[in-house]
Amino acid sequence: MSESDKEGKEVGRRNFMKMTIVGIGGLITAAFGIPAVAYVMGPALKQSVGEWIQLGSVTKVETGIPTLFKTVIQTQTGWITTDEEFSVYVLTEDGQNYVAMSNVCTHLGCRVRWVADQNGFFCPCHNGAFAKDGTVTGGPPPRPLDRFESKVENDILFVKRG
Amino acid sequence: MLANLGDWLNDRFGWRGIWEAIFLRKVPHVNWFYTLGSASLFVAINQAITGILLTLYYVPTPDHAYDSVVYITTQLPFGWLIRGLHHWGASAMVVLVVLHLLRVFFYGAYKFPREATWMTGVILLIVVIGFGFTGYLLPWDQRAYWATTVGTRIAGVAPYVGDFLLKIARGGPELSAVTLARFFGTHIWVLPTTLALLVVIHLYLVIRVGISAVPAKDE
Ligand code: HEM
Ligand code: FES
Repeated sequence: MSESDKEGKEVGRRNFMKMTIVGIGGLITAAFGIPAVAYVMGPALKQSVGEWIQLGSVTKVETGIPTLFKTVIQTQTGWITTDEEFSVYVLTEDGQNYVAMSNVCTHLGCRVRWVADQNGFFCPCHNGAFAKDGTVTGGPPPRPLDRFESKVENDILFVKRG
Repeated sequence: MLANLGDWLNDRFGWRGIWEAIFLRKVPHVNWFYTLGSASLFVAINQAITGILLTLYYVPTPDHAYDSVVYITTQLPFGWLIRGLHHWGASAMVVLVVLHLLRVFFYGAYKFPREATWMTGVILLIVVIGFGFTGYLLPWDQRAYWATTVGTRIAGVAPYVGDFLLKIARGGPELSAVTLARFFGTHIWVLPTTLALLVVIHLYLVIRVGISAVPAKDE
């Protein structure tokens, strides 16, 4: 066997070892990496199922004025069940059709409140302002207040939380 | 392109020299028992990765520890796998490190000039056992609670200083939230930093001195 032959064989073995090591290393990395990514993202990807939440009697809603309904709901986050306050403004113009609006500002999530004197919703964080139907009338909020699907059963108002 | 980048970096960092010293060093013709140290290192890396992932959800307080562990194993994607790897890896680690020690012992590889390698190894073994002891409490279930009650009581029977040691280990006379918190802190900060430091010294010595050959029959 000539010297160059032997060298060619050596290089062949070297390359084979290199490829085997890279291959096995890649497999091990994937075996850890893929479960790790799924594990970290898991809770973020969980879909919440819409549920009907009971707000109270519709008779409380005054015509033409957004009325605040507050209720406490239980939420499960991780391994902890917490009581969370849930607030909805309900508006009716005709006593038959109800609009249920979230009190979460569409800018960056502060809570808006109804200011009767000014006939509008006001957000204290960056002076966002909304009309009584939720449309933006001033400040940085990019879109109207979010609305919930709602229904009335036996004079009791329900909204669906997504 | 990649080769150029490698050259450019090598001109400033000189990493090829380090690479050659670690992976292209001369080793005697050895056998599979010489892989036990590397196997220990592999499992140690497994413990580090899965352990870090567990801390993303685990909470070390009596109120939440158990529930968070149940959440990890039953609710999270691959949570059972991550915890399982960490759990079984812990046992594998002790077994591998002890086998590695036995290999070194029976081949006489602890002799001059490798005494310091052996001594760092002894501390590594103690650290590995420390990991097992502190980690066992963390799920905060019945088994964990009573195992640690017993384990710390063992420290308590030492003459004169026993009671003192027991209180230090528990952070008071009884197992409590304080015990859980200090076991957790030890398990994820004190021991890992110690282990990392010692492994670096250990491997530096292995590379500097070179690996011992398999002893001949009449040695
Ligand atoms: C975390 C635990 C440990 C790790 C990661 C580790 C890692 C390693 C590695 C990779 C080697 C190269 C040779 C071989 O694998 O056999 C080695 C050699 C050595 N280890 Fe360890 N080791 C650990 C614990 C120990 C323990 C508990 C002892 C003994 C008390 C010890 C004593 C030695 C000695 C004396 C050598 C040199 C052997 C020779 O040159 O033939 N090590 N260690
Ligand atoms: S959060 Fe409401 S205006 Fe910025």
